[in-house]
Amino acid sequence: MTSDATRREAPSVERELADRFRRALASDTPALRELARRGAWTSTSCLVGIGEVATLVRIRQGVPATQADIPLLCPWDFSVRGSARAWAALWRPYPEPGWHDLFALTKRGEFRIEGNLQPFMANLQYFKDLLSMPREATP
Amino acid sequence: MNGPAFEPIVGRYLTVEILGEPCRVYFEEAGQGIPLVCLHTAGADGRQFRHLMCDEAVTANYRVIAFDMPWHGKSYPPAGWERTEYQLTTERYVETVRAFCKAMQLERPVVMGCSIGGRIVLQLAHAHGAEFRALIGLSSADFQQPWYDTSWLHRPDVHGGEVCAALVSGLIAPQSPVERRHETLWQYMQGGPGVFRGDLYFYRVDGDLRGRLGGIDAAKCPLFLLTGEYDFSCTPEDTLRTASAIPGVKVTVMKQLGHFPMSENPEQFREYVLPVLEQIRNLR
Repeated sequence: MTSDATRREAPSVERELADRFRRALASDTPALRELARRGAWTSTSCLVGIGEVATLVRIRQGVPATQADIPLLCPWDFSVRGSARAWAALWRPYPEPGWHDLFALTKRGEFRIEGNLQPFMANLQYFKDLLSMPREATP
Repeated sequence: MNGPAFEPIVGRYLTVEILGEPCRVYFEEAGQGIPLVCLHTAGADGRQFRHLMCDEAVTANYRVIAFDMPWHGKSYPPAGWERTEYQLTTERYVETVRAFCKAMQLERPVVMGCSIGGRIVLQLAHAHGAEFRALIGLSSADFQQPWYDTSWLHRPDVHGGEVCAALVSGLIAPQSPVERRHETLWQYMQGGPGVFRGDLYFYRVDGDLRGRLGGIDAAKCPLFLLTGEYDFSCTPEDTLRTASAIPGVKVTVMKQLGHFPMSENPEQFREYVLPVLEQIRNLR
């Protein structure tokens, strides 16, 4: 797991997926505005790992902000990490069976969700939707 | 002037004695013919079958009946519930289904259950097959690998309804219509505190039926198992493994469906269930 400082070492597919994730959370879209509305009581931070590439997501009252340069010993509440192939599969318009949900992926060993899980579980649908924001538009 | 545009579903209450306790049970029904008793999933209620009860292709030949288990939907818990922790056991579940069928004076009904209802159908086939015309298990297996800690379902710092719904949301196929998806989730949001968790006591702890399903005679009581390809809780592999030990059972893996076929995508589900109901209707 690396921050942007050393991300050049990560495979390009991981960097591309991480960029896609950060762009999706930086866009002013109706889906993101709706997510912020639902998350008005959600304030926490999580580390999202796509292979070796990490992104810190700080959420304040439902509004997410991403950070690619993560200082050493930077605190966060929980992490969601998975392989590049798992994230890519999750973000397909119609994911394949068994690759279509965070817990389907943890069950098959492709994802790991760790740390203080209370804010994650207390806002579970919020995070499922946030982490699926890069999903390609349904045809 | 036309009258109100009623749906064909009618709801009533009756008191059923279950393991010595009187339970006021709510049920809905529609149609005429062979009684088809429907068992909802853990933490939900009989509304999951509302589309089936409005499908004339079903109700022309079947009297479809869906009851809310005690603690669920419009069925209250038994008196004194506030001093107990709800835990569904295999024995309690079997007796609930049998007591309801007896109280309703149903003669050899078909029982169709989903998820925990699919699991108990296997036990009914094993221990009480002669009482039923046929049995249908949706999302049904003798065991599934747990995929989360159920303590999250009932604790004061996590909203029970919202976490239950969010957990099961991933069990719905991505192709299912948005309105049906959220209707399915709404039922989970409305469950009583700790009820989903109490149902899962049967699913996770007390109802492991691996190696305990010998003697099922699918020739006398036909058994059909249908599982959605997007169900990662009860996977198609779980159902196929279960079926491999039951001679004569018929298995279908349903495309573009998840764990709640009858409510998440009733239009897709009917393509699979209508042929099963037709087979049962033609049984001698």
